[in-house]
Amino acid sequence: MRFTPGDRVRTTRADPPHHTRVPRYARGAVGVVLEPQGVHPVADDRARGLQTPPEPVYTVRFTACELFGDGDHHVTLDVWERHLDPERS
Amino acid sequence: MSGHHDDAPIAAQVRGLEALLEDRGLVDARELDRALEAFLAGSSPAGAARAVARAWTDDDFRRRLLDDANAALPEVRLSMGGGLQEQRLKVVENTAAVHNVIVCTLCSCYPIAVLGPSPTWYKSEAYRSRVVRDPRGVLAEFEFDPGPDVEITVWDASAESRYMVLPRRPEGTEPLDEAELAALVTRNGLIGVAAV
Amino acid sequence: MSRINDVGGMEGFPPIEQDLDETPFHADWEAHVFAMNRALIGAGVYNLDEFRDAIERMAPEEYLASSYYEKWFHAIRTLCIEKGVLNEEEVERALHAG
Repeated sequence: MRFTPGDRVRTTRADPPHHTRVPRYARGAVGVVLEPQGVHPVADDRARGLQTPPEPVYTVRFTACELFGDGDHHVTLDVWERHLDPERS
Repeated sequence: MSGHHDDAPIAAQVRGLEALLEDRGLVDARELDRALEAFLAGSSPAGAARAVARAWTDDDFRRRLLDDANAALPEVRLSMGGGLQEQRLKVVENTAAVHNVIVCTLCSCYPIAVLGPSPTWYKSEAYRSRVVRDPRGVLAEFEFDPGPDVEITVWDASAESRYMVLPRRPEGTEPLDEAELAALVTRNGLIGVAAV
Repeated sequence: MSRINDVGGMEGFPPIEQDLDETPFHADWEAHVFAMNRALIGAGVYNLDEFRDAIERMAPEEYLASSYYEKWFHAIRTLCIEKGVLNEEEVERALHAG
């Protein structure tokens, strides 16, 4: 497990030519890890018939401002580890 | 949407494909009936309402439900194993300061095992596109205003977890027992587009 | 490439239409589509992620014009052909034979 609750992370900017569970509105965005969810088969791979080992998934919390430039709410997303990079505070 | 136009052509197509798949031994009519029956048997939020009422009356259960819902659900005769495989359930609690609402923007993930099938609007592009961007505007369409000082968190189920809201217990319900409290809990309250 | 299913944050969709009819299926064929999909996943013809992928690959205009279970029916046909359990001609024939 690469991240722990409270870690700042940035989602991938990648726009892959296949199924992905990283929605466009949250790409390249900085958020905070809320909690790890254990390891799960990687949907992006399984949708293409690829057999890869399960990877950790994290609940990550973003401010609406970070995602959309305004708004007073938060959005959380469930993100596989490979789609996250550490972000310095 | 279905029901708004003539269903006969697609109904015939579905029958045709099902017959072909049956002919190939890929599906079995009796198996299909059994799967449907099992699905419809759990097709209401009554189970989840029971969990909420227990959480309102038993603080230790409330904590267990919030910490590890999958482990706590059997206490109210529920499980997340109703689908093809057991899914992780995360229960998120509304408080005086925080209101939660659930969505799946990419498809329509929903805790079917405890809430039953989702309403059509939950699966609509209208709800999925707008609730992450403007939750207050969407809640207003449900004639619900959590109040300007209440912080809103939208939970977008983009992986293997499913989410359910633990609504706030309505005021003035102290005399009610667990069954009476469960009867107050609505599906929209468990999604987070209404108060209970 | 972002696909048409990826609507989070997108502008232009109408107000939410709450249906008063809360039955899980609005027509019998929807229930059959639901059960067929579960059976095919259970039989290992395809998995849930491949199923989602097949829905997402729909042409955007068709995706937006289709009801929820019409999308499912589309994906079932697509995957049965792609996985080689049925061929295109027999699917075409079956659609007209019901």
